Amino acid sequence: RAMCSGKLQTALLVAGYFVYLLVGAAVFQALERTAERQEKMAAAQMKEAFLQNFTQLTVAEMEQFMKNLIEAIQNGVYPVGNESQFEESNWDFSNSFFFAGTVVSTIGYGTLHPKTVGGQIFCVFFALFGIPLNIVFLHRVGKMLSLLCKKLGKFLYEKGMRKKKIKFLTLLFFLATGILVFLCLPSVFFQITEGWSYSEGIYFAFITLSTIGFGDYVVGKQSDRKYFSYYRVLVAIWIIFGLAWIALLFNL
Amino acid sequence: MLLAAYVGYLGLGAAVLQALERPAEVQAAQHLLREHWELLTNHTCLQGLALQRLIEGIIQAYKSGITLQGNTTSLGRWDYSGSFFFSISAITTIGYGNLSPSTVVGRIFCIVFALFGIPLNLVLLNEIGQLMLLGVQHCAHRLEEVFHWQNKASFLMKTCALVTGLLLFLLLPPLLFSDKEGWSYEEGFYYSFITLSTIGFGDYVIGMNPDRTYPSWYKNVISLWILFGMAWLALVIKFCINILE
Repeated sequence: RAMCSGKLQTALLVAGYFVYLLVGAAVFQALERTAERQEKMAAAQMKEAFLQNFTQLTVAEMEQFMKNLIEAIQNGVYPVGNESQFEESNWDFSNSFFFAGTVVSTIGYGTLHPKTVGGQIFCVFFALFGIPLNIVFLHRVGKMLSLLCKKLGKFLYEKGMRKKKIKFLTLLFFLATGILVFLCLPSVFFQITEGWSYSEGIYFAFITLSTIGFGDYVVGKQSDRKYFSYYRVLVAIWIIFGLAWIALLFNL
Repeated sequence: MLLAAYVGYLGLGAAVLQALERPAEVQAAQHLLREHWELLTNHTCLQGLALQRLIEGIIQAYKSGITLQGNTTSLGRWDYSGSFFFSISAITTIGYGNLSPSTVVGRIFCIVFALFGIPLNLVLLNEIGQLMLLGVQHCAHRLEEVFHWQNKASFLMKTCALVTGLLLFLLLPPLLFSDKEGWSYEEGFYYSFITLSTIGFGDYVIGMNPDRTYPSWYKNVISLWILFGMAWLALVIKFCINILE
């Protein structure tokens, strides 16, 4: 009976975790999308006005243009390309969901961030409840990972090895496979999907899994590349297990 | 002694990063400046395509942290103060990202630096948190002795500590920020929480406005606030986790 309730708890936790992220994504999207649209229109108008006047361009006007452009960039709006880019939004559901994930995991890349007051305040409270939820969730995932290690330990014990040696070997195994699976292999993967160099991939993997999350490298953000449909889901799974692995490493 | 090691570690990281990143930054800034003036001399022939390239160039420069204002590019951000703040943002895992290493060596150093710095930071935060808890328990015992309240004292002290922490770390700092940075109160509150929870988007960062002058004590006080605020928030979150589990 106890085992049953344990499994139920885990299932509820996983479900609760994903529902939490989904709800958050929807709310962020609702709060931010209209503001983004306005920014886009303003940037396009600015570009139009500039083009109409370029024959009489002065230094002051150029400075002003640059200033406006930089403000637009700071708001995440890039006035390149043509009208078709109006349809794509930084705050579509997939992006908002990924954003919600970066909030509760405290990675916080910052390439996407709420600009409306409502979005910012919501973000604070979303994180306040989401971060503990995320930690508890990662604990459970970590327990699964440590079960694997315990199985290995048991196997070695039955083979007649001494306890100290088993401990050392399982730790080594845990460390080595973790580095391989969570740092080295993903970097190779990113070489293919993102076109980064191997060292850039390792840098990105480390900065992400340590939850530092500078945001200088982010997956799926290059507009001139085609990503297969479950790319970011795969990356999210990698992040979750990688974070759990690191959390376990700290507890050891 | 732990504190000394912590501060020393941060200082070391700052110095190394500055040495690694500054030259590359200066080079990139000069390159952009040259392009900027070349464009201006040719502006009578500016066409749609050239404009496109200009915009892309500016975006690229912005992403690597360079903005053009007036005759010179913005002041170098890998000066010692900036590098120190960067080190803090790395080992606390806040990771604003408004400043990030662009040289390969800088990045490798950043990884190694964080690899040892993050556990160091966690140990320090744990210590500070334990000290805070001890202080609260001590006060609770004192109250029990003086007023004979038994169980109520502990609860009262915990709520008191929560409220003081809330005021000190989340509700009052936004006032300072609105004075020194010109942010609204909500923005300051948002920044405070995002920083102390180590999410650290980087959309708001203190001391980055070139139009403002900051007093010399500003960044140091903020660093202290980050340290103690993080320890406090970590305690609060641990408390929430205990409730959840």
